[in-house]
Amino acid sequence: MIVANILHRPVRTAVSILAIAIEVVMVLIVVGLTGGMVHETAKRVEGLGADLMLQPPGSSYLFGVSSAPMPIKIGNRLAELDHVLAVTPVLFQFNATGGINVIYGIDMASFDRVTGGFVYHKGGPFTGPDDLLVDDLYARANHVKVGQAINLLNHDFRVTGIVEHGKGARLFIPLSTAQDMAGAHDKTSIFFVKCTDPGYTDDVVESIRQLLPTYKVLSVRDYETLMTSNNLPALNTFVAALIAVAVSIGFLVIFLSMYTTITERTREIGILKSLGASKRYIISAILREAGLLCAFGIVAGWMGSLIGRRVIMASFPTLTVDLTVVWGVRAAVLALAGTLVGAFYPAFRAAQLDPVDALSYE
Amino acid sequence: MNSSRAAALERESRLTQPVSGYGEPTACMESIIQTENLRKIYRVGKVDVHALRGVNLTVQEGEFIAIVGPSGCGKSTLLHVLGGLTHPSTGKVLVDGNDFSIMSDAERTKFRRHKIGFVFQRFNLLPTLSARDNIALAQHIQGNGFNPHRFDAVVDMLGIREKLNARPYALSGGEQQRVAIARAVICEPKILLADEPTGNLDTQNSQLVLNMMRALNRSFRQTILMITHNPEAAGVADRIVRMRDGRIIYD
Repeated sequence: MIVANILHRPVRTAVSILAIAIEVVMVLIVVGLTGGMVHETAKRVEGLGADLMLQPPGSSYLFGVSSAPMPIKIGNRLAELDHVLAVTPVLFQFNATGGINVIYGIDMASFDRVTGGFVYHKGGPFTGPDDLLVDDLYARANHVKVGQAINLLNHDFRVTGIVEHGKGARLFIPLSTAQDMAGAHDKTSIFFVKCTDPGYTDDVVESIRQLLPTYKVLSVRDYETLMTSNNLPALNTFVAALIAVAVSIGFLVIFLSMYTTITERTREIGILKSLGASKRYIISAILREAGLLCAFGIVAGWMGSLIGRRVIMASFPTLTVDLTVVWGVRAAVLALAGTLVGAFYPAFRAAQLDPVDALSYE
Repeated sequence: MNSSRAAALERESRLTQPVSGYGEPTACMESIIQTENLRKIYRVGKVDVHALRGVNLTVQEGEFIAIVGPSGCGKSTLLHVLGGLTHPSTGKVLVDGNDFSIMSDAERTKFRRHKIGFVFQRFNLLPTLSARDNIALAQHIQGNGFNPHRFDAVVDMLGIREKLNARPYALSGGEQQRVAIARAVICEPKILLADEPTGNLDTQNSQLVLNMMRALNRSFRQTILMITHNPEAAGVADRIVRMRDGRIIYD
């Protein structure tokens, strides 16, 4: 009966399945994009080759979200600490033009000491204050060539080199230029520190904590473990809000679909009651029908997410979509929960119908 | 002509012929339905509609009773109350020893599931299901599982084996009503309640359906209460009860 009912109204069935699929795709892509972004950011920070980082008090793990600059002179004090090999300041600039990017304002000499230097695909390092380095993924996604002029943050830059990706950011400008643009002379957003040996990282972290107790000092290893959307409250709220919207869509479509179904099938419900079907039987039949629609929607959503991931990553090479089994299951559970809640009221109403009224329904 | 087609035609021919011995009382005399001063009042807007005004009726097990009367006289309401689809306002309704007037809706539903079969004027088959699934649905709801022997016996008696895979829209009115009867009796209910079962059928199909109901009554001692406007249909029954204005005026 359940399968027959689903097949009997193909448009309704298709719309319901589509709504659930959209819900699942929304959840998986939003979570995948944020997770991918966070994970990818962490990987790029790891790629810097630094062992630890120092940020001013109250700053965010998500670089670029918080400017909160600190005096660049702190770098000298860090460099004097035992087991510190090199220190480099980076001033973040948040660029939302042509996609969201964090621009690193770097001091090339110290940056090279900490990171081991860029690998240039084309071009070379900065030669002037308006020079710009981009990584290969950014260059491919935006069709950028060496020598090309690019306007970022209302400032005209010239691309002097295309570098291998994985060194913190995708865009790099001279530190002094970044300070001028931010109006933060002699300031920086972060220090990356390289130890003489990675084994001294914890010792150096402890030394910095004693030196600058209110500042945020973290080993890159710990930073990677902290870089999940759960540890980024603003991002977590954003993801939760979008998931709530997605679940609401599924809930409302299923509610409307099943409510319409119940109205349309009032007489059939009367027939079931005349045959002795209990309220539980009727509620169960309607919930199982909604559940079956949901199951198809979940499978369609999973497939849609895989397709969406391929499309996004092909269209925007700088973006990463992390699809995980855990979130696949969570999206399915959310969709099923929304469906059952959405279908319950129509099912309950159907079960409450007076059999005589239902049988005489035209 | 193949043998199954010939057998089907012969069975149809036999069933369309009036069964001899109509009106003969059935050999059983145990009360299965008893109503005492049964009243049913509907509230329509702010007006009370007295559908049943003190009905006293006793039905013996195995009886085939026709209930006749003009429209609005309370026939269908009586059938709905006896079938447990609605509760009586006052009075007593004993069906197979169970007092409907004190039973809850859930208890009446459970009783109906096991003891009562309904046949309606408009057949009331589920349009999305095949004839087979419509019949099997009653067994599914009853919860005792599919009984192939009972299924085969009923299907063969009603001559619908060749139509089992058809959906209701592909069946004639007579065939639909035979499927509806099969669904009503598949769970071996003690009482079959038929609300104008021939009301939407032509003469030939009406006779066919009536003969089948008569055969059910005679073969299985099936207690049947049938509402009808058709005097010829009423003539098939053992006993005729006439109603007017919510009361029985002739029994």
